[in-house]
Amino acid sequence: MTRAVLGGAADADQRVFAERLCRACVDELDVDGAALSVLTAEPARVTLWASDPTAELLEELQFSLNDGACVEAARSGAPVLVPDLTRGTESERWPVFAAAVAERATIGALFALPLQWGAVNLGVLDLYRTSPGGLLPAQYTDLLRAVDLAALLVIGRLTAPVGGDDADGWPDEGSGTHYEVHQATGMVLAQLGVDPVVALARMRAYAFAERRLLVEVARDVVARRLRFTEDMG
Amino acid sequence: MNEGHSDRERRIGRAFVVLADTMVDDYDVIDLLDRLIGYSVELLSADAAGLVLADARGELRVVAASNEDAELMELLQLQSAEGPCLDCFRTSAPVSVEDIVESADRWPGFVAALADRGAFRSVHALPLRLRGQAIGALNLFHHAPGPIPEDDLALGQALADVATIGILSERLIRRGEVVNEQLQTALNSRIVVEQAKGVLAEHAGIGMTEAFDALRRYARSNNVRLADTARQITVGDLAPGVVLAMRR
Repeated sequence: MTRAVLGGAADADQRVFAERLCRACVDELDVDGAALSVLTAEPARVTLWASDPTAELLEELQFSLNDGACVEAARSGAPVLVPDLTRGTESERWPVFAAAVAERATIGALFALPLQWGAVNLGVLDLYRTSPGGLLPAQYTDLLRAVDLAALLVIGRLTAPVGGDDADGWPDEGSGTHYEVHQATGMVLAQLGVDPVVALARMRAYAFAERRLLVEVARDVVARRLRFTEDMG
Repeated sequence: MNEGHSDRERRIGRAFVVLADTMVDDYDVIDLLDRLIGYSVELLSADAAGLVLADARGELRVVAASNEDAELMELLQLQSAEGPCLDCFRTSAPVSVEDIVESADRWPGFVAALADRGAFRSVHALPLRLRGQAIGALNLFHHAPGPIPEDDLALGQALADVATIGILSERLIRRGEVVNEQLQTALNSRIVVEQAKGVLAEHAGIGMTEAFDALRRYARSNNVRLADTARQITVGDLAPGVVLAMRR
């Protein structure tokens, strides 16, 4: 179900957003290329944007081999940082992938950052540099901030109510940090038998239709003043 | 040395042994912090306790609480805007408020929220410190006003330090760059725990505290990670009924 939602959302706007994010990374961080893919752990994955042919090649290799830093980041939900891909201890983690990369391109360092929303992986931002070396702590903090924001924007867009005009992502500031929203997401997913992304989308559609804040709707769900049913608008 | 004192020493010793035992190879940060919060309440005679961590944007978020009820969670969350906890995080120094009533000028919103709930009169915030910087804070709430004994404050700080080590782990601290990564993972695990609580609460018609208790009991008695159990519940790999069957 997430796949259907995500698949439909790989629209022009998402590609524009992916391009902006990747370009910002190449400009601001000490990396040579960037690519953003969604549905990274699924067979139906899509690369939204890649800054250059090498970045694109890395995505294609990982997807066809189903192996590599990006695939691992999507599966584990944690960042995978490889400051030196040429070092044995690093390439041993993905022998097939590392060998395939070495054959086709010069890659020194790889950084794969998951766009994560709870247990749901929304995509992975892949960065590469031709020379080895880690990121500076300040660069890394910037990067995490960007990915964090990107995840909120993607989940915001994925769950945006039809007819709702909130391209900025979350309808009200700070929704993502309200624990009630997450608790209510769990309750609604149990009520409807859907996954967390769809549950959030349903709550947002309801909030939009009722002209209320998402967090208010979430509080009503948690307090059992509101239940979601299949036939609810 | 009186009986009560030596009993306390024993309990403190046991707490640190359990915490150290928890930090084996592939431990679950959320579980460790949950135990730590339990000990904070027990050993420091606090009426409630909560732990907040800063996310990548520097905003404080709740990762553990002694009580999963809305009231305490809300108080902890409020502190991302103002309150002793935020000040403690910003200055990397402990902030003690012996009587919150006298601090209305300093944190009007937070004090009003406390007064609303009428429950707590004193708050003590201890920083989770790493290289002179704070990554979060441990909050102790008491119903009665007044200071915490010096010894208790020192013990509280020791527990906060265990939390820091637990979150970052020594091996990772040496690598500097992964600090944020670990924080991010801990915060993300908490989101999954909240969602799983929602699933269990809905399934059994119970409150969030009871739902969390069920989750914790299932994870501990099956010797599996709390965060993994929560994830399995939210993605439908683990039936809520199985987890809830372990309820007393």
